[in-house]
Amino acid sequence: MDILEKLEVLGAAAKYDVSCASSGSKREKHFGIGSTFSAGICHSWTDDGRCISLLKVLFTNECIFDCAYCINRKSNDIKRATFTPQEIADLTINFYKRNYIEGLFLSSAIKNSPDWTMEMLFRTVWLLRYKYQFNGYIHVKAIPYASLDLIRKTGFLADRMSVNIELPSEKSLKLLCPNKTKESILKPMEFITKVAEEEKNFVAAGQSTQMIIGATDDSDYKIINLSQHLYKKFKLKRVYYSAYTPVNNDPRILKVESPPLLREHRLYQADWLIRVYNFSADELFKSKDENLDLEVDPKVMWALRNLDRFPVEVNRASYEQLIRVPGIGIKSARRIIKNRVFHSLEFDDLKKMGVVLKRAKYFITCNGKTFERFLIDLEPEKIKQKLTDKNSLQRPQQLSFFDREVFTSVITGEI
Amino acid sequence: MYKIFLYDGTFEGFMCAAFHIISEGIDKDSTIIVSKNEYQPMFIDNVREVQSDLKTFLEIRKEMIKKADNSVFKRIYYAFLSDTKDKEGYILRYLFYVLVHGKKIKYLYSDDIVNTVEKMAKNVSREIGKYMGLIRFCETDKGFLYAKFEPKNDIIKPIAYFFKNRLNEFYWVIHDVKRNKVAIYDRKKVQFLTCDNLKLKVTHQDEMFQMLWKNYFKAMAIEERKNLKLQQQNMPKRYWKYLLEKN
Repeated sequence: MDILEKLEVLGAAAKYDVSCASSGSKREKHFGIGSTFSAGICHSWTDDGRCISLLKVLFTNECIFDCAYCINRKSNDIKRATFTPQEIADLTINFYKRNYIEGLFLSSAIKNSPDWTMEMLFRTVWLLRYKYQFNGYIHVKAIPYASLDLIRKTGFLADRMSVNIELPSEKSLKLLCPNKTKESILKPMEFITKVAEEEKNFVAAGQSTQMIIGATDDSDYKIINLSQHLYKKFKLKRVYYSAYTPVNNDPRILKVESPPLLREHRLYQADWLIRVYNFSADELFKSKDENLDLEVDPKVMWALRNLDRFPVEVNRASYEQLIRVPGIGIKSARRIIKNRVFHSLEFDDLKKMGVVLKRAKYFITCNGKTFERFLIDLEPEKIKQKLTDKNSLQRPQQLSFFDREVFTSVITGEI
Repeated sequence: MYKIFLYDGTFEGFMCAAFHIISEGIDKDSTIIVSKNEYQPMFIDNVREVQSDLKTFLEIRKEMIKKADNSVFKRIYYAFLSDTKDKEGYILRYLFYVLVHGKKIKYLYSDDIVNTVEKMAKNVSREIGKYMGLIRFCETDKGFLYAKFEPKNDIIKPIAYFFKNRLNEFYWVIHDVKRNKVAIYDRKKVQFLTCDNLKLKVTHQDEMFQMLWKNYFKAMAIEERKNLKLQQQNMPKRYWKYLLEKN
């Protein structure tokens, strides 16, 4: 099989991996080719609107495992291919110097054995760093069941490592991934966290993970609660959510017509609230088997249930109160605080500052005044109706460019 | 009658002109700074040409950074690269503000001059950010990498310095086709020149990588999630002209 065909097969096989971030690395720069850029850089956008930042490929798609949701599972009759470390290194360098990519995202199916696979990933990354003196961004998967020593060696060469948690509960994992156990995933994850805390230049851009949503009956509460634990316990940089795309016809998987993109979008928003805005999963959900409201973003959902905390007076509210107002993000809150030192703020000032009032106007006062007189005694249902009326439902978006500085409204998660 | 200050079109030249206006106490509201190339003479004009002078430039730069900070100076520079008409007028007034308000200028959201300069700078910075990712180099038979683009704003300098750091091991040329400007890097320093005609051929090997990249680009799209509107929102059409995968 020639390199063109391999790249097509092993690129396509990797496209369901969600992460594409290339940001936040603080590895020391040596001489050699290239550099990382702290804000990350997108190099293109595919027809589905997701950005391409890294050359995202599988080392191989020949798998000894048989996970129900995975296109590469052993029982599927698909075209199989395996790169050599040299081939991937060569592609990476040549794509990089033409500015097609920011670096490499290397994942793999499990061929022969977990250790064999991990060894190949290590060799590839080693070639890039030592033979080619490559300084660009490298994200590499840690393979479940691989020896911790191999994972450790690889981690010193990578900017980011990730172990896929795959599914939001042990029950779902048992059902869909008979070959993987909770331990096989959490053990390497915990190991990476530990080494990263002790050693310099070990996965300098941190650790991430991803899970599939919509393939099992796990609720949004369960998903967000799990993420909260992952952030706290394993200090993960990111949890990615991937709306399940039906690639296999398997009776164990929930029937989905098309990937639940809007649900995925809402989960990313809720994730931001947990990670950046200090919300907790228990605050966002009333009961433990609940899902997010698809019609409004999770901050609006929360605010409507806690109307007794509103309206918030813009000229007096604390930073913590301000960022909990729907429509006011971190950037706006900071601007408000800095600016009200000079003079008290009216709604017009907020507009000029770039605060979007579409949602915020129902939840704030400026010097005691509401935005319009009639906005005073609105009930939750009426506010919700007003917010969803005009633009009906927003198109779901794949928010794969989260870490980037150029998209500041996205990075600060202003919702 | 308006006083007209002509400068050579460079940022340094502009700042020198501004320096004269500020230090000589000339009324900014009856002053126009305009680039020599864009000036159409009228016989009643009171014209003065200002020479670019590095020492003067560094002096006013130091002053601005002292009054405010680096980020404000960067804003001024980016705003200058903008293709907005009469940018000089806005920036000149902005400079006066910096002298009065210092750092606080960043929070004067409600002022139109500050707002406009801010917007110009943001527009430029956004375009630089996009082109960091969207410029495509090809390997030429002359042994250097070559990339062309047509930015809205005059951003070849910051772009070239970005690639000086990134592609430091290679010889390369970046070409702004709209302005006939080139940045040439010889593995040591970047030079900026004008250029009319470049005859180059890409190597056979390069054609192969172009094809690999185009195929890869197609293979990465998930059919079930197709969303061309989102693609265009992230990557507007004006960037497509020299974008390999979109041709």
